[in-house]
Amino acid sequence: MRAYAAFCNKEFMESVRTYKLFIMGAVFLLLGMMSPLLARFTPAILEAVAGEMPEMVIIIPEPSAYDSWLQFFSNIGQMGLLALVIVFSGLTAGEIGKGTVINMLTKGLSRGTVIFSKLSAAAAIWTVCYLLSILAAFAYTAYFWGAHETHHVFLSFFSMWLYGILLIAFVIFGGILTASIYGSMLLTGGVVVVMMLINILPGARPYNPITLSGENALLLTAQRTVSDFAPALIVCAALILLLTAGSVAVFNKKQL
Amino acid sequence: METLMEMLPIILPLFIIQLILMVTALVHVLRHPNYRFGSRGIWMVVVIVLQIIGPVLYFAIGRGEED
Amino acid sequence: MDILRVENVSKSFGGNKVIDGLSFAVPENSVFGFLGQNGAGKTTTMKMALGLLKPDGGEMYICGEQVSCGQTNTNRHIGYLPDVPEFYPYMRPKEYLRLCGEITGLSNDIIKSRGAELLALVGLEGVNKKIGGFSRGMKQRLGIAQALLNEPKLLICDEPTSALDPIGRKEILDILQQVKGKTTVVFSTHILSDVERICDRIAVISKGRLVLSGTIQELKARHRADGLTVEFASPGDLDRFMGDPHVAPYTEGAAQNGLGVTLHVNDMAAAQTAVIETLAQGRILPLKLEVMEPTIESLFLEVTK
Repeated sequence: MRAYAAFCNKEFMESVRTYKLFIMGAVFLLLGMMSPLLARFTPAILEAVAGEMPEMVIIIPEPSAYDSWLQFFSNIGQMGLLALVIVFSGLTAGEIGKGTVINMLTKGLSRGTVIFSKLSAAAAIWTVCYLLSILAAFAYTAYFWGAHETHHVFLSFFSMWLYGILLIAFVIFGGILTASIYGSMLLTGGVVVVMMLINILPGARPYNPITLSGENALLLTAQRTVSDFAPALIVCAALILLLTAGSVAVFNKKQL
Repeated sequence: METLMEMLPIILPLFIIQLILMVTALVHVLRHPNYRFGSRGIWMVVVIVLQIIGPVLYFAIGRGEED
Repeated sequence: MDILRVENVSKSFGGNKVIDGLSFAVPENSVFGFLGQNGAGKTTTMKMALGLLKPDGGEMYICGEQVSCGQTNTNRHIGYLPDVPEFYPYMRPKEYLRLCGEITGLSNDIIKSRGAELLALVGLEGVNKKIGGFSRGMKQRLGIAQALLNEPKLLICDEPTSALDPIGRKEILDILQQVKGKTTVVFSTHILSDVERICDRIAVISKGRLVLSGTIQELKARHRADGLTVEFASPGDLDRFMGDPHVAPYTEGAAQNGLGVTLHVNDMAAAQTAVIETLAQGRILPLKLEVMEPTIESLFLEVTK
């Protein structure tokens, strides 16, 4: 337990001193603030553009708080998760590739503890930064549209959070497997592409974890129900457990 | 329609954070001439031109090891 | 008791057999020189002892406990200094030692006091810059400090001096000399003068096999020199000595070198008696009379050729 705490502590120190925390914080704060602004001003910008071309008639509905959250989930789900994967791409790959972790292992640190502390630290940073972006988005959305009706608030945000954890688990697994930053990123990117392809099959859609990052806004406006999300949530949680156990197993077998 | 001046206090924080992100990355690029790959010129362009993702890329995979 | 026991260990990489039925033991409180040419399998053997690599066959024991690859139980007895130690570049030396200490389960007080002691021992006290800015020698010295932090029963150093300049090498050897007696040291190298300076036992491996092992005295005795060198003041003395029938049984195949001659003998005591009698009777006063000791270098070259 003490070793776990010590190694987590080291992970946080690393995040601060190698600018990971700063980058994550800034990016997610930006995304949180940007989304309501984009939703608010996109129609105005389009109108301005359309005004110069009288032959075009664009009917633009008045933006609503819903558009703001639509923007938010789309920004976090793409740009935010991309930043998450890039920032943590060296989480395990860097240490194995460079050999810094060997010294820790020869001190008696168990390989499982390495995986668990890295997962916890990355998850904690993702959680804090994600919360930061939610708060910013809430503040701006409330400013523009006042109180607005929302449903399944917790589940909408939780789904995206869990999907983020899944990506972290893939980054860790890829790093253990390939011992290279690019291997880790390629594996994670490849998995996302595969999940997108799976989404083409209509029957697979409810079970596909990628739903958790794509349809949150629909859940927030009650166009989806909890039961629509449940299978994907279960698959996602199971994958996270499986990947973490797999990472430990592969690492235990790995010759360094 | 609101005037730009009215909207400024709302949009300003966004620009400030973006600026901080870019300037921090830019200062680091200039002060640490060792990169995992690429050159100072390339990273300066990446950090300035690619908003948000440029600094992310630099700090995550471009930054040299030695502090 | 044997701190490290290697029993019939083999290891291949691809189709390449790096270690082939290797067995040896390191007794407690020795400084054990682990010798071999580059690529002989020294690092591989050490990494297997640390559970970083899995042997294809055979067993290893640390303090009587079997090593199993991927598990780290036996590592609590060991301090390890890799050939090129890699540290977290963003940490300061004290922070790194604290992390090491916490992982090993030392109390905070001990980490503080022993950390300060060790940094003083390796000459890094008062160095507070980040490890990223360290020179190679500084990293090697920090490597020794972290390896000794948990007072290991066994200190394994992989080529600790190879990458260093002469001053750096001397510093590392001095430090190892100081820990001798407190802990058993296994240290691999191909620098033979380092071995003669600090080791009391050696094992030489070549192509993954053990070709020579024992204490330095044993080895020197076993490979007892058969050479007896006599050096004279003048060529006349040399001629008179060589012409004497008393030493005739030994002069065959003798190597003359200037005013000296080296006799190759089977029975050193008899030969020495004969030589001294000859010198005394002929009143030849030699400048030097020396029994040639085998050097580690000559042994090494003999067994690895």
